[in-house]
Order: sequence, then C-alpha cells, then structure tokens
Amino acid sequence: MSRSQRSSPPQEAWFVVRRELSGKRTTVLSFISFALPLAIWAAISYLPFLWHPDIQLQISADREDVTTVYIAGDRVSKGFFPEFVEAVREQNEDVEVLLKSDDPLGGSTESSIRRANKKVLRHLAPVLVSHGIINEDQSKEDSIIYQAWADIANGKWVPNSPPLSEENFAIAKKNWAAMSAVSLTYDSDNFISIPLLSLIPQGKPANPDYLPAPDQVAKSGLKVLSMPGENDRPSMVQRIWHSMQIVFGGFLLAALVGVPIGVLCGTYSFFSKLIEPFTDFFRYMPAPTFSTLLVAIFLANDAPKIALVFVGTFFQLVLVVSNTTRRLDLPLLEAAQTLGANQRQLLTKVVIPGILPNLYNDLRILLGWAWTWLVIAELVGVKSGLTEFIETQGRFRNFDLVFPVIILIGLIGFFTDQILALLRGVIFPYTEEGAAASTNPIIKAAMFVPRWFREAVEARLPPDLPQRKNQPNEA
Amino acid sequence: MIPPVIDNIDYLTQSQQVKERFARLKERPVVLSVEKLGKVFPSPGGNVTALHEVEFEVFRREFMCVIGPSGCGKSTLIRILAGLETESNGRVLLDDTAVTGPGPDRGMVFQSYTLFPWLTVKQNVMFGPKMEGKSGPSVEADARQWIELVGLLDFENSYPHQLSGGMKQRVAIARALANRPRILLMDEPFGALDAQTRAQMQSYLLQIWRNLDITILFITHDLDEAVYLSDRILVLKSNPGEVDEIIEVPVPRPRTLDQTITPEFIATKRRINQLIHPEGSEKQDQLPFPRMTVKGDDVE
Repeated sequence: MSRSQRSSPPQEAWFVVRRELSGKRTTVLSFISFALPLAIWAAISYLPFLWHPDIQLQISADREDVTTVYIAGDRVSKGFFPEFVEAVREQNEDVEVLLKSDDPLGGSTESSIRRANKKVLRHLAPVLVSHGIINEDQSKEDSIIYQAWADIANGKWVPNSPPLSEENFAIAKKNWAAMSAVSLTYDSDNFISIPLLSLIPQGKPANPDYLPAPDQVAKSGLKVLSMPGENDRPSMVQRIWHSMQIVFGGFLLAALVGVPIGVLCGTYSFFSKLIEPFTDFFRYMPAPTFSTLLVAIFLANDAPKIALVFVGTFFQLVLVVSNTTRRLDLPLLEAAQTLGANQRQLLTKVVIPGILPNLYNDLRILLGWAWTWLVIAELVGVKSGLTEFIETQGRFRNFDLVFPVIILIGLIGFFTDQILALLRGVIFPYTEEGAAASTNPIIKAAMFVPRWFREAVEARLPPDLPQRKNQPNEA
Repeated sequence: MIPPVIDNIDYLTQSQQVKERFARLKERPVVLSVEKLGKVFPSPGGNVTALHEVEFEVFRREFMCVIGPSGCGKSTLIRILAGLETESNGRVLLDDTAVTGPGPDRGMVFQSYTLFPWLTVKQNVMFGPKMEGKSGPSVEADARQWIELVGLLDFENSYPHQLSGGMKQRVAIARALANRPRILLMDEPFGALDAQTRAQMQSYLLQIWRNLDITILFITHDLDEAVYLSDRILVLKSNPGEVDEIIEVPVPRPRTLDQTITPEFIATKRRINQLIHPEGSEKQDQLPFPRMTVKGDDVE
C-alpha cells in the first residue's frame, strides 16, 4: 500500500504570512478589489429579497383630509404601505355608500367633486408614462388619459407595467361606466360630477432613494458630465476645473512656503526648536474652525477656500517634511564633510538632493490630504464647484446625481496619485522604483515623447556648447 | 590543537628583511601624531571615559590597524581623527598641524555604505573636487582614473543601488582618494561584506596602498585582517580605551594569503588574542548550561 498519491504540480498557498503572491494573482485580486464592491452594490440594487425596505409607488391616490400627498415614484416604507392601501379602500367604500344613497354629492358642490374627479382621472397618467404613451410633461393631457380609461374598461388595452390589479380593473370598469354615461370623450366643462372611485395604490419593492442603482448612477453620470453651463450655473467641466484650482492652489501654496521651512527645521536644530512646537500645537486646531475667520479676512471669492486648504495642509506639511529631512542618513552628511563639504554645501549638495525622493512621496500623500479639505473649503463663503452641485442636488434628494460627482472626486484624486507614483521612478531613476520604472511599458510609452523632444533639441544645439560652459574653470 | 612548533616562535622575533623594513619605515616623516588623546562622554550616571591618554604616531606610507575588544573606543578614536568628534584632552596633529574639524586632507571610508544614491559612480568620485570648486573635463578625467584604479570603469555611470556591497566600498575608496588625502581613515570598511568579498577587498586595498603615496589607518575587529594588512597594529584595551601595545607585524611583505598560516602570522594573532581576551576571560564566557545528553555520549 502506497501512501503517496499521484503527485499534481504543487499548488502555491494563498495565505502565507508575509509572502508576496504571484503577479497574476495580484492582478486578479486588484481587479476583484474594485469588482467586489460594485457587485455588492449591484446585488443590493437588483435583488429585491436582499434589502428593499421601501415600496416605490407606481399608482398612487389622493386621500381626503390628508396633507401628505404621495405621487407615483415616491417611496413609502413597507410598514406603511398596507395602511395607505387600506385607507384608500375605506375611502372608496364611503363613496359607494354615498352613491347608493339619496344624495350622491354628500353635501359637496358639483364643481368641487368635478375637481376631485379630474385628480382621479390623472391617477392613471403614470401608467401611460411608463408605457411610453405620453411623456412626463403630458401628465395633464386629460383627453388621452380619458381614452385610456375607456380602453382599459373595454378590455382593449391591458397595461403590463405595472399590471393593474383585479381590484383596479374593477374600479376602472365602474368609473368608466359612470364617466361614459356623461360623455364618451373628454369634455372639461361637461365632466362627471358624481364621485369617482380612487385607484388602489400599487407599488414595487425598492431601496431608499439614497441608494440609487448602478445603472441609474451611470445614466445620470453621463447626463451630469455633459451638462452644459447656463448663465450663472457652470458646466460640470467648469466645476471640476474650479474645484481642482482650489485644491491645487491651496496645496501648492502650502508646499511653496512649507517645504523650505520643513527642510530648515529638519536641518538646523535652531529652526526645529523655534518653529515645530507651535506648529505641532496649531495642527490640532481643525482647519474648518477658521472658516468664518478666513471669510472675514479674504472675503467671499476663492481666496478663503484656498486659504482653508492651506491651513489644513501647511502645518502638517511642515512637520512631515522636517521629519523626512531628519531621517536622511547621518553617515551621508559625515561622509560629505570628510570630502570637504562646508555647511552651505551640506545643505545644497547633500540634504536637498538626498531627501528629494522622500519629499516627493510626502507631497503626494499631502496632496491626498488637501483633497479631503475640498468639500469643506467649497462650503466656505459662497458655495462653489463640485460641492455646490452635491449640496443642491442632495437637498432635492437627487442622489442619483450626487453619486456620480462623489465618485468623480474620488477618481480624480486616485488617478492623480497613481500618475504621480508612476512618475516618481522617472524623476528619480536612482531609486528602487526607478529601476522598475525603466521597464514599465506605460512609462516607456509616455517617455517616448519627451525623449524625442530632447533629442530634437539636442540635435539643434551647437556641438561645442556643453564644453564651453566648463572652460573658465580649466585654467 | 595548535601545532606545538609555534610555541617556540615569538611574535617579537623579526627576520632580517622585516627588521630593515621597519628601520626604513621609522625614518620616514610622521604623518599623523596623536598626543595624550582623551575623550569623555558626559552621561547622567557619571562621565564615561572612552579614550584615555592615547598616544601613537603613523609614518608616511605606513599601514596601521587599530584593533581592540568591542567598546574600547576604536570608532571614537577614528571619528576624532576625522574631525567628526571633538577630543576632550590632548591633540591630533596632521603634518604638525592640529586637526580642528573634518577636511578633505583626511579621507574616510565608513562601515555603512555612504555613497550618495542620487549620484552616479563618477559623480560620487567627483564630489570632493567639486566641493573645492573644481570642475571641468580635467576633474572628470581624474575621477575616471580613480575609478579605473578600483577596477570599476565599466560602472562609472551606474547608480549605487546597482552595485554590490564590495563595489560600493571600492567606489567609496576611490571617492576618498580623489581628494588626494594625506591619510586614509577606514572604519571597519569591510565589516558588512561576506568573507569571500572581504578577502578580495583586502587584496585590492593592499594593491592600491602599494602603488600610491598613501598612509592608511584601518580599524577592524578581525585578527586575520589586522595581521594580513598592517605594518603595525595598535591594540586598544577597554574601560577606559588605552593603548595596550603596538605590535610590529613580523610577516614579510608583499603579503599573500599563503602567509596566513606561517608561524609568525599565527604567533602575532595569538598575541593579539591574548591581549583582547586576557587570562580568565574564557572562564567568564562559559554558559551555565546543565547537561542535557546521556553520559558518555560526548562530542569532545
């Protein structure tokens, strides 16, 4: 008896502590990393049994003496819907009792009943809209709707989206019997003046409006992105540009002032002890707390917004840069000194070139940090940019329009960072990433243009120019 | 077991050839002179004396090694010589001039790799001359010469991260030499290298030293390395760091690896070993292990 089984090629384990997975597996997992949340979102959106706590009304009805009016498209909770349906049924029963009585008007005037009846007539409009017979703007085309009542009652038309309930078919027949007795076509002046029965509300399970489905978001996203500007309402592209100006403006300003200060703090104990304690304290004061102050100082345009990004980024940046500068290998500085570098040369020839790759990474991370201030900054003073759009549409509960913009902000930040990460290897060929970058196909392709440009420029230079620059020192 | 024959050979016995070499060496001018050098580090628990009245001289074109038990202040000594640390007492004279700070007249090679990662091999070697304000094709040609000397001309445009540890240290030597220093200070430069590379580097270093007018002070904790490379070995003892003995190595030059098993080589090693691990230290090094094997199942 042999215990050894037929040997298959050894399968590499998926879970080994601190062991890198193969390139193929990495690619697959990176793909799933994005696909999985999307799949969950789609599942929750399209599989009614997963969540769908609400009922989205397809046919609604008015109720007397109730101020809250639900129209088709609105969502009500699953708990409330049967209550709503029951209330409408009771209302219909009251009407039928009234019709059998001596006084079908029930004490109301003919004109008020006529007005109520026109509302009942239009309860069918959403069904016509969903069949494409009329569009949303035509929901008051009463003659078409009148004809639809007739067709349903005569069995000429059987709506299938939504399919009418038996109950509503019966109501349609009863109503049409009453309506046709008055007129076979719609006549606004000679409209039926005894009460009609209301359609019983119908609906389908739905998620709350704050979780629109992926296809809805995609559709709205395309609409939002191509939205043209009108008068004082900027187009989406203008909004993106405006938002980026705020983020990059505030960030670049912070970097311009903060990097030199950070480098000085990391290099000279004097500056470190003088500047860092206060900076360390200041960064714990949340930037948004300064927003009203910034508006008072910089007034109401972009300046206070840029200033807020600056305040939110600057103090962090100084500390991060000074820390990076301090982390430069001390032996490098000692070696430079034994090679004859003086104090100024230590700063310019060793410290600054030595920290550049790490400084680049710091700024990348801090740019991400600056992004997080965008929304708050754009709420300061006069709302603007992408945030103004999110705010406005959010208030109207147009979350299918809000989602694309939120995703857009994420995408801009993500791709900026990815591009900057790729560029690091190109800018700093002497780092580990530099070695990887020289073999990266994307970078190779991207570098073709600059290389071509450089070669073209060099070909036009007089051949002795580089040497001439060095000649004075030769003597 | 060490062959009994070397017991008779004294490390102080020098052949005629070696005697004459030392006589010639001592007639040469003194490059580096260390006088009553002391270093005290202040610490909360009382001052720690790292070096106490260290005195020695290094002659021109001499190769001197400094060896001693860990914590004897070897590194402190070389850092003071390089000017990276200030002495508490005494003084250091380079060509009769007191040393006050770091300078290009004393080249230094560190144990850790200190090539500037953002510069190519050639740019690293040109760093020193550039700090002096020199530039131009002559500096570049000079740098290439130093790179050629350490055998790395094929790598002149490579970045340090593309080089092996041994190659990095060769560039570091070339970089220090490009300043034409009076003395080359080397602080355990091959300590981080594997044994094979280290042997190769020792051979390279001897070749460079023989063909240049350069004085070398070399710190190591490796007995073989010290005996193989040096003319004289300065043995330091610890607590406080003091000169224990300056040994004149009786092994004739030029050195080859075959000499590492000659009686005088081994005798010198034994002497250093005695100094670094004095009587009784072996007993201190005994671990308090209880016996865990069957009686009679002994390995020695």
